[in-house]
Amino acid sequence: MEKGEWDMSGQTTEIAFQSSQVNGMNVHILPTAKFKTTTIVTMIEQALSEENVTITALLAMVMKRATARFPETKRLRAHLDFLYGAIFDVDVMKKGERQVLQIYMEVPNEKYLSKDATLLEATIQFVGDMLTRPLVENGAFLEKYVTQEKETLRKRMESLIDDKMKYANQRVTEEMCKGEPFSLLVQGSVEDLPNITGEELYTYFQELTASNPINMFVVGDVEPQNVSEIIRAQVPIERTNVKALQITNTPKQVSKEREVIDRLDVNQAKLNIGCRTQITYKDDDYPALLMYNGVLGGFPHSKLFVNVREKESLAYYAVSRLESHKGILMMMSGIDVNKYQRAVEIIKEQLDLMGKGSISEEELGLTRATLSNQFRELTDSARGMIDFTYNGVISGRKRQLTELLQAINDVTIDEIKQVADKVKIDTIYLLRDKKGEAQ
Amino acid sequence: MQTTVFEQVNETVYHEKLENGLQVYLVPKQGFSKTYAVFTTRYGSIDSHFRTKSGEEINVPDGIAHFLEHKMFEKKDRDVMHEFSKNGASCNAFTSFNRTAYLFSCTDKLDDNLNLLLDYVQEPYFTDASVEKEKGIIGQEITMYDDNPDWKVYMNLLKAMYQKYPINIEIAGTIETISHITKEYLYQCYETFYHPANMLLLVVGSFEPEAMMKLIRENQAAKEFPPAPQITRVFPEEPAAPAQAKVEAFLTVGLPKCMIGIKERENGLTKEALLKRELTTKLILDLAFGTSSAVYERLYDSGLITESFDFDYSSEQDYAYTIIGGDTPDPERLVETIKAEIEQLKQAGIDQDDFERAKRKKIGNFLRSLNSVEFIANQFTSFKFNGNDLFSVVPTLESITREDAYERLKEHFVPEQIAVSIVRSASPQE
Repeated sequence: MEKGEWDMSGQTTEIAFQSSQVNGMNVHILPTAKFKTTTIVTMIEQALSEENVTITALLAMVMKRATARFPETKRLRAHLDFLYGAIFDVDVMKKGERQVLQIYMEVPNEKYLSKDATLLEATIQFVGDMLTRPLVENGAFLEKYVTQEKETLRKRMESLIDDKMKYANQRVTEEMCKGEPFSLLVQGSVEDLPNITGEELYTYFQELTASNPINMFVVGDVEPQNVSEIIRAQVPIERTNVKALQITNTPKQVSKEREVIDRLDVNQAKLNIGCRTQITYKDDDYPALLMYNGVLGGFPHSKLFVNVREKESLAYYAVSRLESHKGILMMMSGIDVNKYQRAVEIIKEQLDLMGKGSISEEELGLTRATLSNQFRELTDSARGMIDFTYNGVISGRKRQLTELLQAINDVTIDEIKQVADKVKIDTIYLLRDKKGEAQ
Repeated sequence: MQTTVFEQVNETVYHEKLENGLQVYLVPKQGFSKTYAVFTTRYGSIDSHFRTKSGEEINVPDGIAHFLEHKMFEKKDRDVMHEFSKNGASCNAFTSFNRTAYLFSCTDKLDDNLNLLLDYVQEPYFTDASVEKEKGIIGQEITMYDDNPDWKVYMNLLKAMYQKYPINIEIAGTIETISHITKEYLYQCYETFYHPANMLLLVVGSFEPEAMMKLIRENQAAKEFPPAPQITRVFPEEPAAPAQAKVEAFLTVGLPKCMIGIKERENGLTKEALLKRELTTKLILDLAFGTSSAVYERLYDSGLITESFDFDYSSEQDYAYTIIGGDTPDPERLVETIKAEIEQLKQAGIDQDDFERAKRKKIGNFLRSLNSVEFIANQFTSFKFNGNDLFSVVPTLESITREDAYERLKEHFVPEQIAVSIVRSASPQE
């Protein structure tokens, strides 16, 4: 092996999608030779609302079942196996006050397969089936699939309780954001399910695919011009009255800290503390918020881990996470219920330290290094690069990766202190056992 | 340094066995930003009965391998996690039934991070105070797992399948067993299992292989190690039959969870034979229960399974088992239906088209997983410990015939080897 062949300089490369309009959709293509597969993700955006949340979630499930070309699920699945086990899923996710329906596909690159030169085309054709050639009878999705998927969706909602960390996180979000769309569970609510008909669902599908923002991302060892042409031919979507969504994220000031306690049969208590930051992805002080979160609880060197876990040995995990489009910071830990007051006290002490700007140069340096590493690692994952770029698209603020890295590098302790002035505890939530006295 | 090129998947592996016995493998990935390194010892939760250096046979408390993993991060004069953070690296470690792995990933200062990894794992420092402190933290980790129904249903299945073999014991132990851990025990385990000759270092990602190997060689040459101890592990004889037909537990869940286990009767296969058996079994599982199978369709349409339904085959030299299951409204009926479907399948045989399609799917999925340096690093080590090469999966898959699969179906999927684990809510949900 010649030394000259190795380009291992570790330089950060930009995440450089080539964007264009194809058939009224925003198509973003990133040619790169480093993956052995091609990833195609289609995102359809909807405003998160009580009215539409359940029907969007149900649509994702029903779309997965069949298309006009493959009316039976078994045959549809067999076709995916035939495409060398193409990974395929349709799902919904929450991005701030948005609900995003995404169609995810990943197939091996043809270069690693001796026989097949048309795999990419077949895959895009399949995406086209999903978006433009669904299985419809008398203007409705098939009753059988609608009924079954209502059941599946209901089970998925009810299984939220299995994972106590996720459950606690949803509960604190519901309590904290009461009355705001963000409080909704992304799968919707069980009560809405009986009223949705196959006909309504199909009408909704048509509206969504005709008028809502659609972004399609392609990452792999592909030729962009070629990919655009295949999309043009295979995804003949009819786009009319394409609208920009009205997303309102009215900043909510915290007037009073709330405490909510739930009881379930658990051994370990989950303590979640939700804070409002008043800062979102698009804001100038977003990089400072990232640094704030990093110093507070993003890493094993952070204040929460060091003080709640290492010094006091109160918990196995003690972390903080950001919801960047909503501007919420969530602190999470699993504790012995008898240590509840002590844990809250220590966590509040850490917030106070942040407010005083009591952050060492070392903490700042470690956070800068680890946070930058996290962002640089994105470039090794197709999914990571797509999510990074999509965050820019929906927030309306497109940052280059190098730009964000530079901004992280430039954040000062004083700027983190200014972030701390905006961060306020909204709700302290405890999921605890059924034993002991109510407090 | 040996070089092996795997043309089909376009990967190259560099290998050297160092003088102290450490096996080093390097897998450079062109165009990647990050590098992932894993330093693994063949020592896990099942290795709790062994001979020490002096020849004495001892039993150590359950959960000690995992405890030792936590304590490796503690040093007299420095904080290992801080050191990695300074270099922007993220570090971690995990303990499984038969290995303990220490790892980091980074996009910068690779040389420093690699030296740091080798040094901290090779410099144990345990004190009474820090051992006591860790009991609180691990106690919370154990409690967290106690509340996790997916973990509970899985561990209980292992307990149902295995009568004596220690994979029926929790990896982290219990609050009671870890209370007996002392720093003396930790040193004993360390000295027995952390000799370089019992370990493997794998680096995957963005680097130049010659220079990387030189750095590792120099790091190891600068340290002194005693001669490699002869490791004698003592395992109980495991009967072929499962311990119990059924185990049940109660936790708050939306729907009951049900796992069906099929315990491998014969063990002791190694290398290619072991790999071929594993891949053949996985092919059958996909054919029989995959999302494009008739069985899946019937189970899903009848509401007996949900999208959580899954299956897998775990394979090691000393134990192997299949797991099939997921959430279900009616565990008993699911078990009976699966058993009946298996018998049905044995009658019907395997369709050639289905078989070819399942193979294509497996090959595609394997290629996909090679995008992930984490996958390569962790899987590569497991494969090596069993005498196999990760990058040989595709040719081995291709060599499997429908007849092989049918023979294996009749051999492995037998009713006597089945055990069942169920987790459900004790009382109706409030």
